[in-house]
Amino acid sequence: MKKIIISLLLLPSLALAGELEHEMHHNHDEHENHLHEMVDGQEFQLDKEKFNKFVSGLSNAQIAVLSVQGMVCDFCARGIEKTFKKDVGYLNIDVDLTHGKVLIAYDMSVLIDKSDVEKKILSNGQNLVDMQILSIP
Amino acid sequence: MGIRVCILSLILTFALTTMSGARPVSYTGGSTMMYFSDNLKESVYYHYSPSYKYSLGLEWLKDKVQNENYAYLRYTHLMNRKNTKNSQRNLYFQSGISSKGLNKNFIGMHGDWETRRVFAGFGLKHVQADVKDYTEEYIQLGLAPYLGDYGDLHTWILIKTKRNSLTNEWNSYPVLKLFKGNFMVELGYDENDEWDAHLMYRF
Repeated sequence: MKKIIISLLLLPSLALAGELEHEMHHNHDEHENHLHEMVDGQEFQLDKEKFNKFVSGLSNAQIAVLSVQGMVCDFCARGIEKTFKKDVGYLNIDVDLTHGKVLIAYDMSVLIDKSDVEKKILSNGQNLVDMQILSIP
Repeated sequence: MGIRVCILSLILTFALTTMSGARPVSYTGGSTMMYFSDNLKESVYYHYSPSYKYSLGLEWLKDKVQNENYAYLRYTHLMNRKNTKNSQRNLYFQSGISSKGLNKNFIGMHGDWETRRVFAGFGLKHVQADVKDYTEEYIQLGLAPYLGDYGDLHTWILIKTKRNSLTNEWNSYPVLKLFKGNFMVELGYDENDEWDAHLMYRF
């Protein structure tokens, strides 16, 4: 029984140490690896490498950048991908678990409705907290 | 006894404050197929989620306690969920009615809290059976040794501590959990109960 209690106490401590280490590393690299975009005067963060890979090959498209709460695992984000893939004008989707972002590319003819997007995210059990649209000429 | 009260208090604190729930309910319109095996049962379970708040399913199982085969019609309800930027916690109610009759059933609670790095979960289940009723309890704590990107293989290393009222003993053992796309594999080895296996596919 002592082993159980020690394990219970030790695991969160190790986890916390890991989190702190990750955060320190994350902050150090933040300005080098993250793309800071401005949309309507608002700044938001994206993984630069991931974003560049996502937009390569896209033209005459628009990208909805969604900030989602509760998207803490790959498994939880699978439903989001499945839902948005059914949309008319859908081109591509990617998930950035580190920053809690979902990138969805649509063709320019699509009118992206924030309330519709919000409902779809909620149907997966997460919450949409922000949405920005980027245009790719 | 004092230690047991202490552990149960910890579980309840998890449940009632910030930490709880799990993933027995899928996204709206999602289906899940599971295989599960431990010292009490071996089962195949399919559930469908009309909403992200509840799921309905059928479980076919070989009951190792009663030594018989039957099915459960199962209902699981998401009672509470809290999403933040870096975490999610859930609290679920679960229930099942057996094909053997209404007097053979179970009810339980299932909870978890996780970030990308840390996982904590618990389960409480009371089974009403023909011969003898019993209760199952478990706590699971885990760490992700690395943070994978979307689509990568994701790994969790966990410690599971479980007890059932039939043996009335707590057993602790390591569990390895692997995710890739819509697949999940969880394997645990306990020297007393041997293997725990849990496979899951979402579609």
